[in-house]
Amino acid sequence: MKFIDARVIDNVSVAEEYYEMSFSWPSEETPLPGQFLTIRASDRTTPLLRRPFAFSRFDDGVARIIYQKRGDATAILAAKTRDEPLNVVGPLGNIFPVPRDSGRPVLVAGGVGIGPIFFFAEHIRAHNPLLVVGARTRGLLPAESCPHGIETVYATDDGSFGFHGTVVDVLKTTYSTDDNWILYLCGPEPMLKAGHEFATERRVPAWVSLEQTMGCAVGACMGCAVRVTGGLGYARVCTEGPVFDSREIVWT
Amino acid sequence: MDLSVKIGSTTFTNPLGVASGTFGYGSEYEKLIDLAEIGTLYTKAVTPRPRPGNSIPRIIETASGLLNSIGLANVGMVGFVEQKLPFLATLSCSVVVNVAGDDPDEYREVVEYLDRHDTVNTIKGYEVNISCPNVKCGGLALGTDPRQVEQLTRLLKKTTDKPIIMKLTPNVTDITVPARAAEAGGADAVSCINTLVGMVIDTSLKKTVLPAGTGGLSGPAVFPVALAMVYRTARAVTIPVIGLGGIMTADHAVQFLLAGASAVQVGTANFVDPNIAVDVLRGIEKYAETERLTTIQDFHTFIE
Repeated sequence: MKFIDARVIDNVSVAEEYYEMSFSWPSEETPLPGQFLTIRASDRTTPLLRRPFAFSRFDDGVARIIYQKRGDATAILAAKTRDEPLNVVGPLGNIFPVPRDSGRPVLVAGGVGIGPIFFFAEHIRAHNPLLVVGARTRGLLPAESCPHGIETVYATDDGSFGFHGTVVDVLKTTYSTDDNWILYLCGPEPMLKAGHEFATERRVPAWVSLEQTMGCAVGACMGCAVRVTGGLGYARVCTEGPVFDSREIVWT
Repeated sequence: MDLSVKIGSTTFTNPLGVASGTFGYGSEYEKLIDLAEIGTLYTKAVTPRPRPGNSIPRIIETASGLLNSIGLANVGMVGFVEQKLPFLATLSCSVVVNVAGDDPDEYREVVEYLDRHDTVNTIKGYEVNISCPNVKCGGLALGTDPRQVEQLTRLLKKTTDKPIIMKLTPNVTDITVPARAAEAGGADAVSCINTLVGMVIDTSLKKTVLPAGTGGLSGPAVFPVALAMVYRTARAVTIPVIGLGGIMTADHAVQFLLAGASAVQVGTANFVDPNIAVDVLRGIEKYAETERLTTIQDFHTFIE
């Protein structure tokens, strides 16, 4: 965890309202899949707080995020151009655990959850992962940003591209009892919950990466809590997470 | 120039602190900033028993502000001594422990326990949280009743020789009433303000964003309110007043000092940029140098 004097390299739209930004990463501390960073979008007081974003890729001093333009802060980010300075703190949080046994990693991304899942897919390419990428509709799928050469199934809620249904529907139709899967999911909470339920029924291990509004993002403020089964009943997404064993989470 | 501040028996080397609840127990920010640069670290509130905190979501950003309902989530006094105090003991900045409880006896219990276990005198004072808007007992309910404020202050002064700083709530008609009560009870200082009670409603869901309904508002949105309260408090009591609420820049901090504060705390701004606290201290020093002010008292000579 450090302050990073980053500079924007590229900032392009990759799907409707989705952007991919690459920026310099002048630090020895190499980010890993699952980790995130925070950006102070502007020096003004609205938006006030730093915003967290998961790394979507890292190579040789260049970091990337994929983000959705959905509020003040991300609108400011989307307007940033090459060489603009970026006030970054990172890398923060824990990582997706690399599968240790022979099981097949199945990586499931929905909506803005694609970033960390793409990063992890590249990272464990040698484990022959299956990638399942879902969106409401075709226009929201950043197909060009998907890692190449990895078996990928696309799904859209409206059937406009790929499988007609949700990513968890894909899991249900693809899975056979002979399969030895390890699930990794990132996306909207209903998707994560459905993924957890699928994993519980089939007795498949599942790791989920959670999103929560953050205050400090370094473990000090207790603002980004989520309900968990152990301890005092809450964990901090920024510090104990963002990646959790799905069985640790109290799903509501 | 000597901008040190004496509160009770403790001399704080400079007027800057980082506010309780925004800086954890210090270690969270260790990798980002040089903790020796800040004057005083006010810890997250410590209660007798560990507290899980309030239901989620706990925070939401507002116009230039932050509304929170954390609910004093903390490790409890035993956990604090075992897990947090050893690290705090290694710091060169001053450490003030923020204390909270459900009733006066719980506050006393924490202070007594911490005093007993602080074998190397790491704790330089206690800031007494009688102003948290997000808990049912203690907190704000206590802080709005001057009789209880005075009694609690007196109880804690009897319990410890370390400085007692009563942290006041702005959620009263006249903040000078609890401020005077704290002074009458023997407080060594008061800090103000804690957060203002606020609310946000999600119009699509037609319900409050925070499950508790209301939360505490902080951040630059509250700064002018805090400044006026510090100004009034500094004229109502003779003990030092510590000003906080919405500091984002050195100029804000200097305004607090000119209004009569003897020290300041940076709070929500630590989330925005952990460098801000150190920048604020540098800015205060630069202002003092430029304006030829050599002590904190010099700041108090301009505004009646």
